[in-house]
Amino acid sequence: MVERAGRALLSRRRRELLLGAVVLALLAALPLGVSGAYLRGLIVLALLYAGLSQAWNILGGYCGQISLGHALYFGIGAYTSALLFTRAGLSPFIGMFAGGLLSGLSAFLVGIPCFRLSGHYYAIATIVIGMMAALLASNWDFINAAQGITIPFHGEAWRNLQFRTAVLPFHYVMLVYAALMWLIAWVIEGSRWGFYWRAVKDDVTAARSLGVSIYPSKLAAAAISGAATGIGGALYAQYVGFIDPESAFDLSLSVLIALPAVVGGIGTLWGPLLGAAVLIPVQQLSVAWFGSAAGGIDLMVYGALIMVLALSRPEGLVSFFHGRARQEAVDHG
Amino acid sequence: MKRIKRRTVLTAVGASVGVGFARRARAVEEVKIGAVFPLSGNAAAIGQDARHALETMAEIINGRHNIPMLLGEGGGLSGLGGAKVKLLFADSQNNPQIARSAAERFITQDGVVAVIGSYTSATAVTISQICNRYQIPYISADNSSPSLNRQGLEWFFRPSPTDIDFTKAMFDFFAAIGEKTGEKVQSIAIIHENSVFGSDSAKLQARMAEAAGIKVLANISYQANIPSLSVEAERLRAADADVVMPSSYTSDAILLMRAMHDAGYKPRAIMAQDAGFIDPAFIAAVGPLAEGLLSRSAFAIDAVKQRPAIPAVNALFRNSGANKDLNDLTARELTALQVLGDALNRAKSTNNMALRAALRATDIPGNQTIMPWAGVKFDETGQNIKGNPVILQYQKGQWRAVFPFEIATAAADWHIKR
Repeated sequence: MVERAGRALLSRRRRELLLGAVVLALLAALPLGVSGAYLRGLIVLALLYAGLSQAWNILGGYCGQISLGHALYFGIGAYTSALLFTRAGLSPFIGMFAGGLLSGLSAFLVGIPCFRLSGHYYAIATIVIGMMAALLASNWDFINAAQGITIPFHGEAWRNLQFRTAVLPFHYVMLVYAALMWLIAWVIEGSRWGFYWRAVKDDVTAARSLGVSIYPSKLAAAAISGAATGIGGALYAQYVGFIDPESAFDLSLSVLIALPAVVGGIGTLWGPLLGAAVLIPVQQLSVAWFGSAAGGIDLMVYGALIMVLALSRPEGLVSFFHGRARQEAVDHG
Repeated sequence: MKRIKRRTVLTAVGASVGVGFARRARAVEEVKIGAVFPLSGNAAAIGQDARHALETMAEIINGRHNIPMLLGEGGGLSGLGGAKVKLLFADSQNNPQIARSAAERFITQDGVVAVIGSYTSATAVTISQICNRYQIPYISADNSSPSLNRQGLEWFFRPSPTDIDFTKAMFDFFAAIGEKTGEKVQSIAIIHENSVFGSDSAKLQARMAEAAGIKVLANISYQANIPSLSVEAERLRAADADVVMPSSYTSDAILLMRAMHDAGYKPRAIMAQDAGFIDPAFIAAVGPLAEGLLSRSAFAIDAVKQRPAIPAVNALFRNSGANKDLNDLTARELTALQVLGDALNRAKSTNNMALRAALRATDIPGNQTIMPWAGVKFDETGQNIKGNPVILQYQKGQWRAVFPFEIATAAADWHIKR
């Protein structure tokens, strides 16, 4: 019985990996079918948010610790990389790992006091810490305070991760990022940690009685999730060319990071990608189509979509795919 | 079957010829210009006003008028065979990333010849950078952060003065009025919102105060869109400086005036850094509390004698749906399009290189605009070197220009003696 379940799990995981490879190939070929810098830029953003949201999903989905302060890790990653690039001339490829390391460390440190709280209190604590960081950032002169950091164009080069008008390189950079995040989530799903985290998420007391050490397990999830978010922040900074506390530390960004996973299917492999594939184009296109008409129609469209999705698919967009989400829930039970 | 096919082919060919023809014909008929402003969110009112201002100027260029200023006769862009200006608008939501992709969309999909923006500095950074990459001019209509023209961009042009010019005008006014009335400014209290605009402004004010030997008794920073400013008002009352110098957007400006009033504190003088304090919504909300308020500005609506085009332009603006008078921001936005229109006329082409060369050669005398400036002439960073600000005072329900004295329309109401 156990053996058969194990075999079923293994074959399901192999299927997921195969599907992942197919989707990766499709996404890699996607720019061939899309012309125009604007639409390609839109896909770049969707991929970035798919990656960011998957990073959030590691802690929020698999471990069940809802964080609404992930902008903090995003901001630390973005600022670290941008500062190293503008002040020390270091390549963003170094900067993003430095940023990721710092973000992971800070997620770990934030976790130390905050994981003593449970349920909603943890979510509230992350909001507060995120807002404190935003305040500090907009008053700290060393990082240009509210001025923000402009990342000057140093010429088209992979080393600088800067391209004059080409969007394609960023498409592949973001695709690699999103794919790596997906792969990390896939590995976690099958690992001992993954089982620990899901156990923690389902029932803390039961997990503890089974010998799962709750606290270190949560800290590890936070560190991985934070580091992965930081790398995404560094990529964003290099792509957009400007960061300030409002665009890198704001609470609304924390929500934006969590939203694709929540709408797509929280704690699932495909949720963040699906969520980002729907939400980001709708958000950006509604600005483009309705944004010039009268104030706020685009935001209403975006908000209405989220409401409709939340009401009609409370388990997320993944549940569209023949109840696979429900199947998974049983498997992980 | 065969017949249908042939007809389809013929139609397709006909249509494609037609489309090609129409496109070529349209290229001379209209010139597309992209405008990126916050049309939603907490700066939405300002973005909507900007839209009316730009549409007013487009109407002046495209229509038939007799306004005594450059391009004031209308009839389209004469240098382009009477081509009409067509404005495209995009909402930046005050978000640098959205502003960036809006500009990119305008350039790559709509084929605009230039982009105008954008109210906030953060969005101006990303728009100006993307314009620079595509080699399309960015006309900064109302961004005043001094760092923008120091980015080393080659496609950045700003007809309006910067915050350095604006803040310097305040201290020039203090010196001149002190000389004139004997009531010299000895101390100031600074209060500012903590985003780029407010903190930059406060830094400049503190530096210039020090240079002028004026004491800074308080330098208070607060979070924009804060729910209450009563603690800050108390601190200002305790400092009791000669002049309170606030840098705030609309909602905070209203809040600050009310909080000071509630605290029973009436500053002897308030010198505002424009923005929220010049917004008609602010005046509507605080009413008589605004009496005597001073603010720097790039525009003086009552300088009609020196700038005879103002009444006609203002009337057009009011009727464009704005239903209010031109103010500092809308006048600058309108003038930005005028400057661009003039350059297009001289470039005689929509080619980006020709347009940039024409922009660089811009030399418009002040009296050909509605602005109180000496003129418009760009330095090598794209900054107008002839744009001098003015100091306005709200007197008996109207903004009057009180400084520089040569273009003043009223004497300053100045009583700061204890």
